Amino acid sequence: MRLFPVFSICGTALLAASLANTCTSQSAPRMPGELAWTIAYDPKTFDPAKVDDQESERVRYLTAGVLLRFNRSTQKVEPRLAESWSLSQDGKTIVFKLRAGLQFSDGSSLTSRDAVWSIRRVLLPATGAPAAEEFVTPAGVTVETPDATTVVVRLPQRVVGIGKVFDEIAIEPAERPSEGRVTSGPFVVADYRRSQYVRLRPNSHFAGRDAAGNPLPYASGVRLDVLENAEQKVRLFERGEYDLIDNIPPDYFELLKRRSPSSVQDLGPSLNTEQIWFNQAPGAPIPAWEKSWFESRAFRVAVSQAIHRADLARIAYQGHATPAYSFISPANGEWYNRQISAPHTDVAAAKAGLASAGFHLNGAVLEDSAGHPVKFSILTNASNAARLKMATLIQQDLAALGMQVNVVPLDFPALIERLMHTQDYEACLLGLENVDPDPNAMMNIWLSNSPNHQWNPSEKTPATEWEAEIDREMNRQATSLKESERKQAADRVQQIVADQQPFIYLVYPNVLFALSPRLKGVEPAVLEPALVWNVESLRIEGSR
Amino acid sequence: MKLNRPAAWLLIALILAAGVVTAMPGASYSHQDRESTLAGASTQHPAGTDALGRDRLVRVSAALLLSLAGALAASIVTTAAAAGVGTLAAFGPSSFGWTAMLVCDAFLALPWLFLLMMIRSALPLTTSPASSAAITFLVLAALGWPACARAVYRGTLSLKDSEWLLYARAEGLRRGQIVRSVIPNLIPLLVPQFLICVPAFVIAEANLGALGLGIGEPLPSWGGMLLELDNSAMLIETGWVYFPVALLVVILLLLEAATVEA
Amino acid sequence: MKTMRQAAALVKGLARMLAILLLVLLGSTVLVRFAPGYLSDAREMDSRYAGAARAELSAEAARSQSLAQMFASEIGGWARGDAGLSRQYGVPVFELIRPRLAVTGGLLLRSLVLAWVLAIVASLVSSAGRNPSLFWQTPATLLLAVPTAAMATLCLLANYGGPALVMALLLAARDFKFLHRTLRKAWLDPHVLQARAQGIATPRLLLKHILPGIASQLAALASLSMVTALSALVPVEVIFNVPGLGQLAWNAAMNRDLPVLLAITMIMALAVTCAGIAPDRPAELESA
Repeated sequence: MRLFPVFSICGTALLAASLANTCTSQSAPRMPGELAWTIAYDPKTFDPAKVDDQESERVRYLTAGVLLRFNRSTQKVEPRLAESWSLSQDGKTIVFKLRAGLQFSDGSSLTSRDAVWSIRRVLLPATGAPAAEEFVTPAGVTVETPDATTVVVRLPQRVVGIGKVFDEIAIEPAERPSEGRVTSGPFVVADYRRSQYVRLRPNSHFAGRDAAGNPLPYASGVRLDVLENAEQKVRLFERGEYDLIDNIPPDYFELLKRRSPSSVQDLGPSLNTEQIWFNQAPGAPIPAWEKSWFESRAFRVAVSQAIHRADLARIAYQGHATPAYSFISPANGEWYNRQISAPHTDVAAAKAGLASAGFHLNGAVLEDSAGHPVKFSILTNASNAARLKMATLIQQDLAALGMQVNVVPLDFPALIERLMHTQDYEACLLGLENVDPDPNAMMNIWLSNSPNHQWNPSEKTPATEWEAEIDREMNRQATSLKESERKQAADRVQQIVADQQPFIYLVYPNVLFALSPRLKGVEPAVLEPALVWNVESLRIEGSR
Repeated sequence: MKLNRPAAWLLIALILAAGVVTAMPGASYSHQDRESTLAGASTQHPAGTDALGRDRLVRVSAALLLSLAGALAASIVTTAAAAGVGTLAAFGPSSFGWTAMLVCDAFLALPWLFLLMMIRSALPLTTSPASSAAITFLVLAALGWPACARAVYRGTLSLKDSEWLLYARAEGLRRGQIVRSVIPNLIPLLVPQFLICVPAFVIAEANLGALGLGIGEPLPSWGGMLLELDNSAMLIETGWVYFPVALLVVILLLLEAATVEA
Repeated sequence: MKTMRQAAALVKGLARMLAILLLVLLGSTVLVRFAPGYLSDAREMDSRYAGAARAELSAEAARSQSLAQMFASEIGGWARGDAGLSRQYGVPVFELIRPRLAVTGGLLLRSLVLAWVLAIVASLVSSAGRNPSLFWQTPATLLLAVPTAAMATLCLLANYGGPALVMALLLAARDFKFLHRTLRKAWLDPHVLQARAQGIATPRLLLKHILPGIASQLAALASLSMVTALSALVPVEVIFNVPGLGQLAWNAAMNRDLPVLLAITMIMALAVTCAGIAPDRPAELESA
């Protein structure tokens, strides 16, 4: 029986081989000419009026026909289903002129009746459309159609950037909402397998044409796989399963750069920011002496000066980030202000500032005037490796001042509960995604009575004079009719924030993505969806 | 069960070496040498540096002392608890055995992830990394015993009905003595369970880091270093990334060899 | 008399299963409801979606105000065969679970079969031979020391293998550790030594002399193996993106989707109970 081991090992190996190669990609095979990339989770809804999460919005962008489109590249509003549009002088009346001969994907004609029905449906409270809130007072908005190609919308009050709001309103067939199965956009929802993929097919009746008059879209379909694992995404991208990876993490960027340098691009700083802030809510369940530290401007400024932002960008993002000092990134050409004077890295000044605020060193430990050692925790979300690295780097930076910092990664729901509901935290390190370059989109962050006013949510009255001033300036930019006055107000807010450091800005992560060389027509933009904003013009090489 | 001498001595030598490395003046597991991140071996850093520029040799040594102590202690507690519950359930009245196994089964199916989250939210945020590590291993020990307890219960039950035990009972041996003679027969079940628990707890501690428990920065976490292996970008950077897993395998093999029966 | 005893055992078994399911239902509800983050949503941070998120959360808060109310609605629902609607997707829970049961069941079966074949072959060869067991222990120890995520990355890099292989290797490594010791000890048992001295051939030796002695330990190991497989299922499915119950469980846990979590934990409780029933019955019947 000496052969027994040999036989059994061979047999086992064969069995292992037959059972082992279960395919790791469980999506359907690629069709020729079909674009493919990944989404992080299942879209919650395909009904364009009810979209209230990121991936549903992506699907809506790809399938919905809209009156006006906010061109992500030129950052200007363009007419789409509308041939032209006009805004009255007081900003309260909008007139759209529809193109002639428009059709839905099922062949039925698209007239102003459909446009009016769709807009009214979005405004209805029963629908619960998030886009309705952008009208500020949706109940007072009226929509009329004097003839089959004209739509008139009357607003009770002026809304800044009203053109962009129509980018979110899909025109669907009147009385027949179809959850994306009948659309007037470039693609139509064809198939959906939960937790696996969403398949889109081209709309043969799409009105868009390219410069030569050829019908759009070029691609024969779009497949969106539900996949969050970065390792798998990169692997499948290299195998040709996916045509692009949006927001690729910096370490995988470097990996792909080594293997195929032409497939990856770093476009420089994005509009997003990463920041740290201290809990200044008066009702927070933290000791009173800690509250006094966090409310002290000198303390916050000293922390800001002790942080080596260049190290954060170089080490945590492997060079693919830019040190940040304000909430408006250099990528925001229209609103960026180079002249804002913010605290830069200066450990000596930090120590001096702390000393003048009553802090003193007891051995290696910093103590406040009452003798309490300066010890606090920084919360961050566990799933972001770069943030964890930044928190550890900041831990050492602040140790140079004598502060003892605990890094506490938490899962997102628990983190949100502490931030928004119980205010049971001391400092938090998170990022903010800015999808709109206009500071008006950030009203919710800067108005002191907003629940998203992170360091002190839902204030009944502004707790400090500078928060009151921020409120005034933000309201000024929201209501002013002159662009120069709006810019002045935005600059003033930036300077107040730089002086007071309620948010200590760390870095602007760069725009990193990978593109397959076979994908043609991509013109990367800074606004989302950065790579597929012109999806109708994208095509796979060799498939036309 | 005799301890295998050479393997045990080697193990102790490794632990002492780790202690020496950590205690050397100038050695710091948290100091970030920001100019040389992910560096290879050098005179200053014999095993290179990690992504934040911290010396890998000192970190692995400290992690060995910390994670190994915690995982070993937790594994011993878990295995002992499993043995205790299993034998008590088998030798006690049958209703007690029935209830104990019922609780075990229910225990195994419950989502303990949420209990861990609750523990994290009950702890103050400024809990030091060392206390957080101790609590983590305690919780792991408390949650790990039901799986083995059932196996011990079944094993003991069948032993109860074996011939030699019947003879022993017929000869008038008391219950306590019977239990003590049963336990050596359970060793083939308990020792492998203990040896499996050690790496499982090391990795589990790192996974708990995602919930805010686990070993906090800047203390080095062995499980955290093992989890670095899941990033192919990291695997390509430097071969030293395999150092923690190699060391863990060596230690586990030594433990295995040290607990081999004659 | 025997049929009566068998019937009594059956009733006892069913009562046990029901008791476990009830305990699991109540325990899971308490754990999930009071864990941090039940009434929070990541969308609250995004001003575009915050309003919609808060409306959903206040509706959920109203629904889950009192534990007694929650228990009553859950037990009532399950008694009627209705597991409720998923909090994440808004569809009936059974609709989510049905297609995934087959996937997970298949994965479990394949990996358990492969794991046991590997473990038995390896332990037979390692315990019988005179080679130092270090040769066999090293791969098993390596498999235990490497995290599942790292194994998945290696599979992806090598472009070979998938969830079944990784799970089988994990389980085989664990089983091997047990089997190796058990068999090593069994080979050195006095009656086996005598049989070997008498020159009895190996297969007969294994079947007639060794196997009966270790049967109970094998049965114990089988139930342990099943439990390990169930707990290894979640990380493997999540990492390999397999559309099975483990992936659903993970998403439900991250999103605090209580109805789905309840359904999955009940299924797991059933599986764990069944894994323990088979070896139990002969012993119980004999000792009855």
